[in-house]
Amino acid sequence: MKSRWTCAAALLLFTTSAIAQYKAALPGYHYEFPRDHFNHPDFQTEWWYYTGNLKSADGHRFGFELTFFRQGVDRNLNTTRPWDVRDLYFAHLALSDLDGGTFLHTERTNRAGPGIAGVSDSDRRVWNGNWQVAWRGDDQVLQAIDERFSLHFTLRSAKQPVIHGENGVSQKAEGSGRASHYISLTRLNTSGEIQLGDRKFQVTGTGWMDHEFFTHQLDRDQIGWDWMSIQLQDNTELMLFHIRRSDGSIDRYSAGTFVDARGNTTHLLNNEFTLEPIGSTWTSPHTHAVYPLRWKASIPKLGIELECSTLLPAQELSSSRGLLPAYWEGAISFSGHKREATLGGVGYLEMTGYDYPIKGLH
Amino acid sequence: MSRFLLFYRLILRPLFREPVRASLTLLAIALGVAVVLAIDLAGTAAAGSFRSSMETLAGEHDLEVVTAGGVPENVVGMLESLPYPLRITPRIEDYAIVAETKKTLPLIGLDLVAQADRAKGSFSFSGADNAWEYFAAKDSIWVGESLGHKPGEHIALLINDQIARYTVRGTFPDSNGSAPAVVMDISAAQDALRRFGRIDRILVQVPHAPSLEAWQQRLRQALPPGVQVRAAGAGTNENRRMLAAFRWNLRLLSYIALVVGAFLIYNTISVSVVRRRAEIGIVRALGASRALLLAAFVGEAACFGLLGALIAMPLGRLMAGGAVQLMGATVEALYVSSRPGVIALTPLSVSLALLVGVGIAVASAYSPAREASFVPPAEAMARGRREYTTQVHKTRDVLIALALGLVAAAASRAPAVGGKPLFGYLASLLLICASAFAMPALVDVISSLASRLLKSILGVEALLASRSLSSSLRRTSVLVGALSTAIAMMTAVGIMVGSFRETVLLWMGDQLPADLYMRPAGNPAADRHPTISAELTEKIAQLPGIAAIDRLREYEISYEGMPAGLGSIELNILRSYHNADFLSGRRTSEVLAELRDSNAVLVSEPFANKHHLRAGDPITLSLGDNVASFRVADIYYDYSSERGSILMDRNVMLRHLPDPAASNLAIYVAPNARVEDVRAEIESAAAGHRVLMFTNRDLRGEALRIFDRTFAITYALEAIAVLVAVMGVAGALLALVIDRRRELGLLRFLGATSGQIRKLIVIEAGLIGLLANFAGIALGFALSLILIFVINKQSFGWTIRFHWPVAVLLGALTMVYAATVLASLYPARVAVRLNPVEVVHEE
Repeated sequence: MKSRWTCAAALLLFTTSAIAQYKAALPGYHYEFPRDHFNHPDFQTEWWYYTGNLKSADGHRFGFELTFFRQGVDRNLNTTRPWDVRDLYFAHLALSDLDGGTFLHTERTNRAGPGIAGVSDSDRRVWNGNWQVAWRGDDQVLQAIDERFSLHFTLRSAKQPVIHGENGVSQKAEGSGRASHYISLTRLNTSGEIQLGDRKFQVTGTGWMDHEFFTHQLDRDQIGWDWMSIQLQDNTELMLFHIRRSDGSIDRYSAGTFVDARGNTTHLLNNEFTLEPIGSTWTSPHTHAVYPLRWKASIPKLGIELECSTLLPAQELSSSRGLLPAYWEGAISFSGHKREATLGGVGYLEMTGYDYPIKGLH
Repeated sequence: MSRFLLFYRLILRPLFREPVRASLTLLAIALGVAVVLAIDLAGTAAAGSFRSSMETLAGEHDLEVVTAGGVPENVVGMLESLPYPLRITPRIEDYAIVAETKKTLPLIGLDLVAQADRAKGSFSFSGADNAWEYFAAKDSIWVGESLGHKPGEHIALLINDQIARYTVRGTFPDSNGSAPAVVMDISAAQDALRRFGRIDRILVQVPHAPSLEAWQQRLRQALPPGVQVRAAGAGTNENRRMLAAFRWNLRLLSYIALVVGAFLIYNTISVSVVRRRAEIGIVRALGASRALLLAAFVGEAACFGLLGALIAMPLGRLMAGGAVQLMGATVEALYVSSRPGVIALTPLSVSLALLVGVGIAVASAYSPAREASFVPPAEAMARGRREYTTQVHKTRDVLIALALGLVAAAASRAPAVGGKPLFGYLASLLLICASAFAMPALVDVISSLASRLLKSILGVEALLASRSLSSSLRRTSVLVGALSTAIAMMTAVGIMVGSFRETVLLWMGDQLPADLYMRPAGNPAADRHPTISAELTEKIAQLPGIAAIDRLREYEISYEGMPAGLGSIELNILRSYHNADFLSGRRTSEVLAELRDSNAVLVSEPFANKHHLRAGDPITLSLGDNVASFRVADIYYDYSSERGSILMDRNVMLRHLPDPAASNLAIYVAPNARVEDVRAEIESAAAGHRVLMFTNRDLRGEALRIFDRTFAITYALEAIAVLVAVMGVAGALLALVIDRRRELGLLRFLGATSGQIRKLIVIEAGLIGLLANFAGIALGFALSLILIFVINKQSFGWTIRFHWPVAVLLGALTMVYAATVLASLYPARVAVRLNPVEVVHEE
């Protein structure tokens, strides 16, 4: 889920007419890897979402985000011509130089075209121009080139893929099919190089991948959400999200997943955790949206209480064209305790719907 | 102050007394300078346009990727995937014609999905908010603001051979140097053109470091070998280079009127010097130095030059408007699609006009002014002396003329310098000088030979007239020289164009053997090759009464930094019907047999000349994503375009560029069928397609129409030169009349009637015209040989067969002659009005 919803939301404005052509995410879906790491053209919206917290040998900390979106425009388009638009491919790239205090982000929009963007099962590759993730055996090689910086990482998953929700679907709203198929790789051992201007950093750290595909999921009273990934020092992970409703309440389809050290998962219902902003906020100079930067997460049934904060308040992605809603997506760190033990960790936080409500999601 | 007074009294005041003559000289200079300025301005405006029409919305870019027949579109994917921060802009580039207005507009296909992205978006347009909805709709177009269309309007566009209706979704600003154009999404553009799998040009923006050359090298290595990676603007530079010879020749042609003007300045100042001989003597006796007198007369010329140049500026600007139209049409027909730029009087062109005007005036006035400074005071002041001493060394001048003629002959044999026929121009100039030196002897001989004959035919007035001419030999020769130079240039260009036309006519007889020809509707241009739908061609081929169809296909390519055409022909058809002409003189069937399914190609004569190729030479072409090697089988005569073409077997071309659509069809009607019936059948089969069909005769007519339009500007330049010369003759005769007032007065006093006086002057003019015509035709013939066999051959590479265009020349010469005689009517009237009593009293 997450910002990917924002994008999808904007796109739906243009592509709702074709929605009947696509399948809905329904319970009982049979997952199969590595096939399910790649394309699902039967579903209208699909994304691959990579984030991570990295550190160079001398302690310089970075966060990164690289996302690939596929948005179906016309599934039934009967064409062999590459320029005809069957899907739109979007991608977002961001580098958070946590110690340098800068946040760089950029975006891309393409059609598949003659090899410009796409998802290939046979090549095991997801790409948009020269931003790409290619599977090489168990490793994923991530590469992204921008005029100001470039990333080149190798990611190796320490755990099996996690399937969120219940019975193969992550339900987001009332009604059959208002859900997604949601897969995560929650602990990706990451190493590689960041080039920032003329400087090169050899970095290592922990990454996270989300892969989600669906056709429609939110309803019109759901105006935004807060999502976080948490990678704790004890080799466990958490994914939590909140859907905010227009009346100020928290949607009952908010949910989460706990992944233990061996990769076993526990689905968390809305009433099994709380996620609340505590104190400090940051106001975007671009969109004037006010984002809460400190959050407290409690999961009483696991005995977990954590607080998050960030080194870099300015991690908002806003499109200069205003075509897509702005969202805040940034590297965060956690401290707190699990039962009696103190525990820290890193993760990513996403907040959407703070500049204006996400509309048109139906 | 006193110097100014001298200048005023000696130079300016006399001019004000003869306003007609002064204005004629002034106008002649103004016209001469105006023509030079007009051609300069028009050339710049016309050249400016090669950039703008296809560079519309190109934004900033450093490199471009192109290849013959279009870049395979997967190259876009390759470029996008390279691990460098590049900005890639693929473009479909062609033309669309607005059905209603017949206006041809660049049609540009852009990846609008990617353009919507802020990182790439060089294309911004109105109505962007909901633009996403329209990208996928194939009827969506965006147009330049200046076309005046509103979003939501429908426009019918003719693209290739079909008209389709499009909807304007938004407009983009086109005032800032972008040409008005039609923009579509790439997908829609490919559909509209029915050209799939290829992209016409990919623009690439690279980072600053390392160097552009290094990036060029990197991209070359990453892409297929046939694909060319070249610096941005290479196409524009190629066009400029291709047009250099055309502009250069036109520019030189524009100087003819100026040369004629120079003769006239020379004459005017000579007259001034002679007329003011007495005053010069007085001034000298009063202590004025030689240098001062020299300066005074050169100053007079400079005044003429300056004033002339000032008048020339608005005049030249006005003429440039017409010239741009004519040049634009020629450029489009022979070279490249263009849209004339704005005509702008820049400081540079203003200084050119001033420099040319004052420079030519001062240079041509120097010799008579120097003579003025040598007038001995005592001699000049003696009253009643003969005013005009003939100091002509006829024999010496004839020898000089001969020497110059020999040097000219030698220069005409020298090769081109850097593609420019510099020695050819030198030879022409030397010949003109030679003729100027030979003129006094010629005038003397002919007028003395003619005087008796004239007397018996036209009476005593004729005798007087011819005597008067040979007695003022120097002035007469200058006049005859000016007029004959103009006539010679006219004759030379007339012969050249006439020969060219005749050559083209003969060539078309061989080249156009089919009964019917078909091409897509719309204005043709040398670099636009719209196609006829393949299915229409198939349909026509099935019709009864058709013996064969030759599908000609042409592509626009770049060969070694110069644009060229790459065409294919169907050999089995050519062999049976065609009778092409080759440089080697070999039989058509023999040459064409070599081409069949082989790597042999034919190149046109201009192409061979430009690239120094001979039969048997190897030639390497980039075709699609391949590089292929060919051998030049032979060189064929081709007068259809100066840019040069390569021809190959259709089967060979299809192997490299598999698009089967044809640019032109040559249709052969079966022997037992009637051309009109077959034509009607084809027309009904082609319903829904916009194609033009020509009978063999129509096509030839059309070709000649284009040919004549091409040379319209040449004729215009000639006409102006002749006009300048005729005006000069009128002015000079007027001077002659005023100079000879005593003589004329005496004649009247002795009983000559006013009719006789008028006859005398008119006959003098007639004699000058006759002499000039004779000399002009002789010089013109010699110049035409240089034009045809040296200048044209070296500049454009065409072999032209010599031909006398008798009718055209006779017409033009008669007109010039009549104009000369008519021009003498005003001076004759002045002569008649002289009061004999007053004149003789002076004596």
